[in-house]
Amino acid sequence: MAVVGSRRPTPYGEAVAERLGADLAAAGVVVVSGLARGIDAAAHRGALDAGGVTVAVLGTGVDVVYPAENAGLAAEIVGRGGALVSEFADGTPPRRGHFPKRNWTMAAISELVVVVEAAEGSGALITAEAALALGREVMAVPGSVFSPQSVGAHQLLRDGAGLVQNARDVLAVLGRGQEVLDDPLLPPSRLGLAAPVRRDGLLGHLSETLPVTAAELARKLGLGFAEALARLTALELEGSVLRRGEGYVRKLRRE
Amino acid sequence: MVASVLTCLLRGLEGVLVEVQVDVAPGHVAFNLVGLGDASVKEARERVRSALRNSGLGFPLRRLTVNLAPAELRKEGSGFDLPVAVAIALAVAEKRPPPRTAFIGELALDGAVRHADGVLVAARALRAQGVEALFVSPADAAEAALVKGLRVHAPADLAGVMAHLAGTAEAPAVAGLLPSAPLEPPLEDDLAEVHGQEAARRALELSAAGGHHLLLSGPPGAGKTMLARCLPGILPPLTLDEALEVAQVRSILGELGASPLSWERPFRAPHHSVSTAGLVGGGNGLGRPGEISRAHHGVLFLDELAEFQGPALQALRQPLESGRVVITRSRGTVSYPARFTLVAATNPCPCGWLGDDRRACRCPPGAVDRYQRSLSGPLLDRLDLRVAVSRPPLEALSTGSGAESSAAVRARVMTARHRQLHRQECLNAHLKPAGLRRHAPLGAGRRLLERWAEERGLTARGFHRAWRVARTAADLDGAETIQEAHLLEALGYRLAVHERAA
Repeated sequence: MAVVGSRRPTPYGEAVAERLGADLAAAGVVVVSGLARGIDAAAHRGALDAGGVTVAVLGTGVDVVYPAENAGLAAEIVGRGGALVSEFADGTPPRRGHFPKRNWTMAAISELVVVVEAAEGSGALITAEAALALGREVMAVPGSVFSPQSVGAHQLLRDGAGLVQNARDVLAVLGRGQEVLDDPLLPPSRLGLAAPVRRDGLLGHLSETLPVTAAELARKLGLGFAEALARLTALELEGSVLRRGEGYVRKLRRE
Repeated sequence: MVASVLTCLLRGLEGVLVEVQVDVAPGHVAFNLVGLGDASVKEARERVRSALRNSGLGFPLRRLTVNLAPAELRKEGSGFDLPVAVAIALAVAEKRPPPRTAFIGELALDGAVRHADGVLVAARALRAQGVEALFVSPADAAEAALVKGLRVHAPADLAGVMAHLAGTAEAPAVAGLLPSAPLEPPLEDDLAEVHGQEAARRALELSAAGGHHLLLSGPPGAGKTMLARCLPGILPPLTLDEALEVAQVRSILGELGASPLSWERPFRAPHHSVSTAGLVGGGNGLGRPGEISRAHHGVLFLDELAEFQGPALQALRQPLESGRVVITRSRGTVSYPARFTLVAATNPCPCGWLGDDRRACRCPPGAVDRYQRSLSGPLLDRLDLRVAVSRPPLEALSTGSGAESSAAVRARVMTARHRQLHRQECLNAHLKPAGLRRHAPLGAGRRLLERWAEERGLTARGFHRAWRVARTAADLDGAETIQEAHLLEALGYRLAVHERAA
């Protein structure tokens, strides 16, 4: 089955993709994705971490890794018994028109496609469309209603895609429901989304998905801008917040 | 019959004393000009011949040799017309040239004295070399008269100059006029008009107080240009020495008018199509000052930083460090002052909407990386205060901002600048590493800074630059020593934009 999504995910999306990849691989499912930045890479990584097999469908020749930063990941996928798959001749460089075709291939070799995060017009939606056209199952992971990165996934849910909260939801659709990995009644901490320890009052005002700028935070808390920036920088230095674009998000902690 | 008078040759902001020697001798009728004059100097012959005739002074039909000494320096410009004509007239009349007197000016064919570039620079150089009186065109009189101890005469035409020298009609000395002490300048762009933008406001204040360079990043229409224009208004007015330095650059460019001295800080905003020579200086001959020298003691605003030509931006690095630009040519080297505050603005990505909360970015991720990489690391490393500027909510625009005015910010800036000048005789941004250690001890904060430098791969330059910003934050707080919060704030600006989180 395929796990696809945005090349510019939120930390939440990345965590979900990694977790899904790991849990599905642990259940013996081959995880298919596109070796792109973001959700794709996180899904591959999760599957590998769980000791599973994962397949990357490329929009380039199999000897060309794009983006180059994923070269190490590609080597590991092959080394762990997975495969790099491509319909393009060796040496084909990345071309705009090739990636939608790659998305069709991905849908074709998968029984089911899970869209983790997809903005409007995202390539992941092409994969979902292809899956529907080919008679495959499409599922989607909900996100924050404020997050533009989840607009596409929510559209799919509205149109009838199955809702994915954890790997069990996917396995049930695949007909392997007996392999319970996650009890949906357990708190989301089971998914590795535990709130970080609150050492600074600022953290409580930060979101995991929507970046908040230092200026907004200062306004909300009645602090001077300089003080808010200094305190955020201290949190960034100790690793409990991350920068996303112009703002800050709380870092997700896995158990 | 030999006569010689003095004039000045400019090499950048230096003036070299030049002696114009004329020999009127019997022989074939000829007019030779020697002493390495370029085309514009050679043309002086035609102008001088007409001007002399039309001033009723006559032109000698004899063998005329004019030498510009020292002969090994290449001469350019039209300012040699007047000294050449005066020397010829004196030689013909067999009169001695006036002592310690120099002449600069172009001549019209009817004998009128016209403007020459760089008179202020020349006047200062001549005075430094003992010249006491200077003849210039009426257009240049005000700038020449800024030089203390120099008597400036500005007769309208060549006949007037000769009449003064002959003692028949006196051309009165021009009185030097210093503009009165700086008043509260009227502000075109006041921070009171800026809605929100706390990050950019704070960064502008730090920049004004410590002389740090600034990068504003944000979508189109967020107000980056408006913010940059506010910077001169929160800087103190120029001091007399600074105003004279600014006026010298403008004098070279021929841009000084009737009121040559201004207390206003320059604000230059060249378009991104500017050439390297236009930006840092260069062009014909030894090279003229560029935009960065026009922005001396003021603000250089580069909008759409990523659109500027790579070589032009690379040429900025050295002046950003040293406050001077050195232009080296086969014919010699000139240097111009270029101590400016750089304010750069950029969109976060090619389409401009990355990070905006109301419009989605349509750029492929690779394009964003390429765009951000096109801002060269070494240049970015020198921009100490990097802040995001976001679009104000539309509903805020119809109401007043309720924000602090530029005058209030400037009061704090001036206090902070005063502390720095009192302590170390320069702004924090210009402190050398040794000065930093002496005037900005870090104490317990050193470990924090070192740890960050290690983890985030701060360069040695970035390390020192963050340190200087922290010193400025402490100065704005009125703190003697740098505290941890000041360092954290300074570090926060270094990573704010265009650096991916690890």
